[in-house]
Amino acid sequence: MTTIAPGREESVLIRRPGPHELHPVRTHRRRRALELSLAVAVPLALVLWWQLAATQGWIDPRVYPAPSTIFSDGWTRAAAGDLWPDVWATTKRVLGGYAIGTATGYALGLLMGSLSLVRAALEPLLDALYVVPKLALLPVFLNMFGLGEGPQIALVAATVFFFVWISTMSAVLAIPSGHRDAGRVFGATPWQMFRHVLLPASLPAVLVGARIAAGVAVLVIVASEQIAATNGLGHLIFDSRALFENDVMFVGIVCVAVLGVVFSELVRVAGRLLTPWAPRDRGRGQS
Amino acid sequence: MGDPHPKLHATQLTRTFGRAPHQVDALGPLELSVAPGEFVCLVGPSGCGKSTLLRIAAGLLRPTTGTLEIRTRSLRPAAMIFQDYGIYDWKSVRANVRFGLDIQRVPRRTANARADEWLTRMGLADFAHAYPATLSGGMRQRVAIARALAVEPELLLMDEPFAALDAQLRTILQDELLDLTQTLHTTTLFITHSLEEALVLGDRVLVMSARPGRIIAEHRPPFPRPRTGDIRDTPEFTALKGELWELLRKEAVPA
Repeated sequence: MTTIAPGREESVLIRRPGPHELHPVRTHRRRRALELSLAVAVPLALVLWWQLAATQGWIDPRVYPAPSTIFSDGWTRAAAGDLWPDVWATTKRVLGGYAIGTATGYALGLLMGSLSLVRAALEPLLDALYVVPKLALLPVFLNMFGLGEGPQIALVAATVFFFVWISTMSAVLAIPSGHRDAGRVFGATPWQMFRHVLLPASLPAVLVGARIAAGVAVLVIVASEQIAATNGLGHLIFDSRALFENDVMFVGIVCVAVLGVVFSELVRVAGRLLTPWAPRDRGRGQS
Repeated sequence: MGDPHPKLHATQLTRTFGRAPHQVDALGPLELSVAPGEFVCLVGPSGCGKSTLLRIAAGLLRPTTGTLEIRTRSLRPAAMIFQDYGIYDWKSVRANVRFGLDIQRVPRRTANARADEWLTRMGLADFAHAYPATLSGGMRQRVAIARALAVEPELLLMDEPFAALDAQLRTILQDELLDLTQTLHTTTLFITHSLEEALVLGDRVLVMSARPGRIIAEHRPPFPRPRTGDIRDTPEFTALKGELWELLRKEAVPA
């Protein structure tokens, strides 16, 4: 607390302990409880409001079904086993494309970050491709791979590739020259340099890119399934809208949201385990 | 202290960081009185809580227990000079010096005049429109000093301001600061690792213990004011420095 107490001609400014210093445990506990209850209460309030609006008829429940309808419908579909083939199809494509995209993006980013000639050769080309909306490449992939899993996985891989490539390259370029110099003076071979310096130094920034890519991968796969797939959550959402099964459509949307959150959280946890030295991200919002 | 109206008065001041079981006692308990216009130097081993004390005085941090009273006319009596990162790379030298005045919403014309006055005084007039990145370390720290003094603070807090400079430049800036403070008589808390710096500049030198920092010795360098940097060469200076070093070495070694 900082307070002004009246004095004669001057006043006295007092620096004294605040609530956080006087009751550290209690203040910390209260703060955590408040954060947790806000994180739960805000979404819950919105869902309840939606429910109320649907039951009161403020919105058309055929277009915007009540959350209770969506939940019970999702429950029955899940219990009957109708939902899982679509969830599995989408998950498979996301994981496959993500693995390919991350591996190639990381390899090329590392190469371009370390060797300026490779960077000079490929950077303009990749910059040009980077700005092309990846969904616009779907027809190309359809021509290349035909119908089936090929174009879907290729599209996710292409999307993820660019995020990981650009964050890896900039991370490698941002490594302080002192780190490299120390390795060079000790006579590190290229592999040792990678293993002891470049990999750990760039990893925190690379993982930020990987985490953003995880969210975008889900986003892209849903869009491409709507256009060119016979199963998957994107197909489910679009198909049920065409059949005017709006509650099924919302079940699909909820599944996509859950899939996206679980996937990017997994990447985040993996990242934390891989970089124990890096400062932890405090807010969930920060990538 | 006999002074009935100290500028700064700390009572049973402590600060801990973290929560049990990882709690670290950084400072105190510490008793301290600083008279108006006094220049107090704090020396102590690394991590002894010197900076913590300064941050409490600046209002950046609250004490865990105890109080620190500052007798003042304004709500923000303190200006602080940091070891580094204090001045902004994206502002010109003049805009940096003007920063405190801009925050206090001093009219631009007055603020510019006051900033220019300080730039001239610090020998920076030719660099008013340069960016800090183009300046040397000594110049940058002169900018930081000018910025702190431009707001005419009642309390000047300096956290190892010359630690990043080379030895020659340090000596030069010490002499400049000595000159400046002997005309301004601003109450100052000055943190340093260097005993020489403390003895040259301080009315009083306080030696702090290893963590948690307490005051283990107090010295008043017997050099009359106004003094100059020449006192470094006197035998008394060397003797006093040796005496304080004996004390400090015991604290610095086990840590």
